[in-house]
Amino acid sequence: MRNLQLLGVILFFMGFLLAEQQPIPKEDACIRCHKEMDEEQEEGQKLFPDILNDIHLKRGLSCADCHGGDPEAFDDEDKAMWDNESFSGEVSRTDEIAMCGSCHSDPRFMRQYSTAIRTDQVKQYWTSKHGMELKRGNKKVAICTDCHGVHGILSVEDPRSPVYDMNVPSTCSNCHSNSDYMAEFGIPTDQYYKYRKSVHGEALLDNNDVGAPACNDCHGNHGAIPPDVSHISDICGTCHVNNDQLFQESHLKPIFVKRGFGQCEACHGNHEVLKPNDDFLNWEHGSVCVQCHEDKGGEAKIMADHFYTLLDSLKGQIAIANSFVEKADQKGMEVSDLLFPLEEAHKVLIQTRTSIHSFNKDYVEEIAKPGFEATKTAIEGGKAALAEFDFRRKGLFISSLIITFLALALYLKIKDIDRKQSKDKS
Amino acid sequence: MGIYESLNERLYLDKIVEFSKKKKVPVFYGTIWYYLGGVSLFLFITQVVSGVLLLLYYQPGVATAFESVRFIVSKVEFGWLIREIHSWSANLFIFFVFLHMFTVFFAKAYRKPRELTWFSGMLLLFLALGFGFSGYLLPWNELAFFATKVGSDIAGSIPVVGDFLLRLLRGGDEVSGATLSRFFGIHVAIIPAVFTVLLGIHLVLVQVQGMSIPPELEKVPEEDRRYMPFFPNFALRDVLTWLIILNVVALLAVFFPWELGVKADFLAPAPPGVKPEWYFMFMYQTLRLIPAHVWFIEGELLGILTFMLGGLIWFFVPLLDKKAKVGERSKFWNWFGIILIIYMITMTIWGYLV
Amino acid sequence: MNSDHSDIVKTSNKQTRRKFLDIILGAGFFAWIGAVLYPIGKYLVPPKVAEMSVNSVEAGGISEFPPSSSKIVRFGRRPVIVFRQQNGDFHALSATCTHLDCTVQYKSDTEQIWCACHNGLYDIEGKNISGPPPKPLMQYQVVLQNDKVIVTREEMT
Repeated sequence: MRNLQLLGVILFFMGFLLAEQQPIPKEDACIRCHKEMDEEQEEGQKLFPDILNDIHLKRGLSCADCHGGDPEAFDDEDKAMWDNESFSGEVSRTDEIAMCGSCHSDPRFMRQYSTAIRTDQVKQYWTSKHGMELKRGNKKVAICTDCHGVHGILSVEDPRSPVYDMNVPSTCSNCHSNSDYMAEFGIPTDQYYKYRKSVHGEALLDNNDVGAPACNDCHGNHGAIPPDVSHISDICGTCHVNNDQLFQESHLKPIFVKRGFGQCEACHGNHEVLKPNDDFLNWEHGSVCVQCHEDKGGEAKIMADHFYTLLDSLKGQIAIANSFVEKADQKGMEVSDLLFPLEEAHKVLIQTRTSIHSFNKDYVEEIAKPGFEATKTAIEGGKAALAEFDFRRKGLFISSLIITFLALALYLKIKDIDRKQSKDKS
Repeated sequence: MGIYESLNERLYLDKIVEFSKKKKVPVFYGTIWYYLGGVSLFLFITQVVSGVLLLLYYQPGVATAFESVRFIVSKVEFGWLIREIHSWSANLFIFFVFLHMFTVFFAKAYRKPRELTWFSGMLLLFLALGFGFSGYLLPWNELAFFATKVGSDIAGSIPVVGDFLLRLLRGGDEVSGATLSRFFGIHVAIIPAVFTVLLGIHLVLVQVQGMSIPPELEKVPEEDRRYMPFFPNFALRDVLTWLIILNVVALLAVFFPWELGVKADFLAPAPPGVKPEWYFMFMYQTLRLIPAHVWFIEGELLGILTFMLGGLIWFFVPLLDKKAKVGERSKFWNWFGIILIIYMITMTIWGYLV
Repeated sequence: MNSDHSDIVKTSNKQTRRKFLDIILGAGFFAWIGAVLYPIGKYLVPPKVAEMSVNSVEAGGISEFPPSSSKIVRFGRRPVIVFRQQNGDFHALSATCTHLDCTVQYKSDTEQIWCACHNGLYDIEGKNISGPPPKPLMQYQVVLQNDKVIVTREEMT
């Protein structure tokens, strides 16, 4: 006993000597002993220093608040843990949800730390695929700590957190891309691979655009589940409002719902949403419509052809306008004014592509009209600039002619005067 | 002749006509160089006319300078032409002024009694460079902005007065809207006023003293020398030359237009390849080549002091060239001039190759 | 006799030639004057757009902006959205969304600026309040003068 006490005193002082740079939130018994033990742990198993960043510790909670035990019982292992009634040790996977929820689902408790924080995570969780499987007894699903981390839990806003926006895809793919692990569930494991190639993956992970969706933005956070097939458009419509609205009002929506087709997903895919191609409308090559409309000459083809031709012709006009403006620019003419209608035309092109989702011929034409007007302005401007260029060359030619004519006459006059003078002299 | 008579009774035009009839130009292998003064004058007049026209549309100021120049070249009819003529004519003007100065130098025309003509001419050259430096900033594009920054930085390294000079030039510590304002005033009011007075003096001196001839020709007896009357013979030849120069300017204006550039932005870093205008290049390149320290003196400082000393020597050459005073050609000064030209040309070309 | 006669003819020929030369010289001179004065003359006449509009743009008459309306105008090379709230207040903001450069719209019911591309929302002062836009929209000043709506930009020193 005395030896232990002596050891404790020595360790106490050593603790100060070996003090970490970070301030220890609350110097309690658990941390002090387990920090020592940490040194014998392997790299991947170390608690420190990450645990000192843990948001719970920073808010004044202690190990005991989750694991039980007595945090004041310095140097007394038994008093701290084994002999303590509240001590629960390692929390089992099945118990974890309830344990986390014991605080996180209590509005009155959480209110002390943040008035706006949500407290429905556990409730949502039980509706998710993970929760439903867990209820059935399958432990191979994600629980709180699988996504949020366990001892160094950081706020969602912290870029180091595994559930920070940009880290979500890789966190989910830890399981969902592991085909061995997921084998018994019978679902694909290529979602991350596909997502990574998609416009959303590129936007989020290559261009750091946090406006782009990660897994949770379409599947939900705690209530994560694949979207209901008849509501896919609503999900995508969270951001792609116009496309969604137009589609909802189109004649295709009820048909899709009735037949259980995946709405946006049917033409655009779900994880591998790539940049759409105008060839989606090209009946001969690349059409997505033929997935359903197998007939060759029906109304669908007429509409698709019409849309395709419209887009093609607008693109053609834009290309022509671009080439005129570029040519004039290369010749040194001032064309900055024409960049405005060019940009306008490009914007209308994007809007026209969106308007296709109405599957309404008149509407699409109406949207495309200002685009053609803008290209017309740009083309006329470009042509005028080129004409001005020619005018200048012509003007120079005529002026040079006049000057040369005058210079010649002057030269003859000079010679004439010289001759006259020399004759007068002689 | 009614108009002439009535004017003559009031302005004594007869006297001027009589005087003009006496004006003559020597005819020999070097006559061609006598055109250069007239060409410089013609280009100056072109600058004034095109400059005044530009003044009708140009608006100085950080928010409007660049835009007004763009307006001129894109929206105003023939605005492009006026602007191009002004830009090209400016460069040709400086070129011909330099050429004029060197031909006068080698003809020793600065010797007595024409020292004042040389002094006024040197001041005119200095003002012409001032015209160029101040005018270059006015379109307020990126290249002009940085060229001005570099140029005024160099002015700032002159000992003693450098800092004061820099602030005086820039209207502050940095190149800003204040600099633009100042340069505009300098370019359209101050220098034109001083230039006109000096030009008047320069031209009156030339009329009063007549055309000089090189020392070698002075040895030829009077009866064997050939002359042509200025009016109408040489004058008409002058006009012919000016017509040809005008055509050259027009050709350059159409085939080699100056770029509008990108609007100056205080916050942007300097674009690569910032260079001063060509007529400053030889000095700029020299300064770039001088090592950072020569003995105990800072390299740039040494360079600037050398230029100033060189300028002073060149300015006072009529007083320093003892031989020219007595109508002889000094080999020393001849070589001085030749080496100076070679140096300037070499440094200019080098500056562009780097 | 003959030589005298031929002399006179030669002289009169020369006179005619001289006169002809003078006429040509005169004609050339006038043509040259014309070629110089024509561009200068055209230059002096102000162009249709009398001033380069860079600091202020007229968006239209006040009557063209009933409450809860908006219009996109060109300011130099950028689009600016000018809108009027229900209570009559005018505002002007850059019309280029800060997310991916789409052109925004004014929603008169919620009195917010909305971007149709990815559902970005801004308030009437241009602050990005919802959706992907990372930055607010640049504000412009609106001045009412002589029954006209003028949009100006803040001066940069």
